[in-house]
Amino acid sequence: MNTQDLIKSGILESYLLGLASREEQELVQQKMLDDPELAAYVTHLENDVLSYFDANAVSPPQDVREIVHLRSRKGNAQKRKHVFNRIPKEENYNKGPYLEVEVSDTYIKVHKYWRPAFIIVFILSKIFLIAGLYYYFKSSGQEQEILRLKTQIQQQK
Amino acid sequence: MNELEQINRNTGQSFMNSPAGKLTSLEIYDKYGAMAYGIILQIIPQPHLAQEVLISVFSSPLLQSCNSYPFTFAVCIIKLARAKAVEAKRKLAGASSPALDIRSDAAENSPQQVFDLAFRQGFSPEEVAEKLNISKPEVLRSLHAFFKSNRDA
Repeated sequence: MNTQDLIKSGILESYLLGLASREEQELVQQKMLDDPELAAYVTHLENDVLSYFDANAVSPPQDVREIVHLRSRKGNAQKRKHVFNRIPKEENYNKGPYLEVEVSDTYIKVHKYWRPAFIIVFILSKIFLIAGLYYYFKSSGQEQEILRLKTQIQQQK
Repeated sequence: MNELEQINRNTGQSFMNSPAGKLTSLEIYDKYGAMAYGIILQIIPQPHLAQEVLISVFSSPLLQSCNSYPFTFAVCIIKLARAKAVEAKRKLAGASSPALDIRSDAAENSPQQVFDLAFRQGFSPEEVAEKLNISKPEVLRSLHAFFKSNRDA
């Protein structure tokens, strides 16, 4: 099939639209490598296809952009995590036990067990505070009682 | 496996994490979001469903493959938007093959009708040929004629 036949066959259009079969895709790719004229025509055809779809473009609502933004951030965070897992152990040991992670926000992440641990420490601190105050006032009351008894004994003597 | 998936398998690089010169998914959205939404609406006319498909297009890992695509980014987005919209339309239909919905404004076997069946309704060129009782080369030539008439218009 020569270049003109290929252009008129519509295979190039079906290729650009994703409708071409595997054989047709290979044929177009091979022909484009061999024939710069065909490659130039495909570039021209791309512009025609884009013009058609640009003419039918519709602006989506602003909310959609926000969702895409959030999903892409989430996706990137997951990919970063995978990259860390692929680092060989030897390399980690050479660099030290900690990974240098550059983050763009001011938040930190801690293990979920820190939550109950923090709650337990908080409750214990309150118990010890109350107990300390109780025994402080109790001992000061006892001291006053001892002083009172001592003066009473001295008066009796 | 479609063409985009093949490219994605062959290239392990991720353009989203890579340095300057590569577009982020949000930049791609800003540039091609309206075009992709227009394509999806042609296939799925319900706006809320079309918006869901649009989000899936721009958060798809297949978007990475457009970076190594031999043609322009926009052509890759067109293919991806169509593939996702057709997939969603088929899921909605709940059947293995989509229902035939030939537009009344298109003349019988016209390039417009062939484009409508092949691109908007997700039929392969072989299926379009079978439905319209024409040969596959005729279907492909109609696609050529469709874009030629748009260019000349």
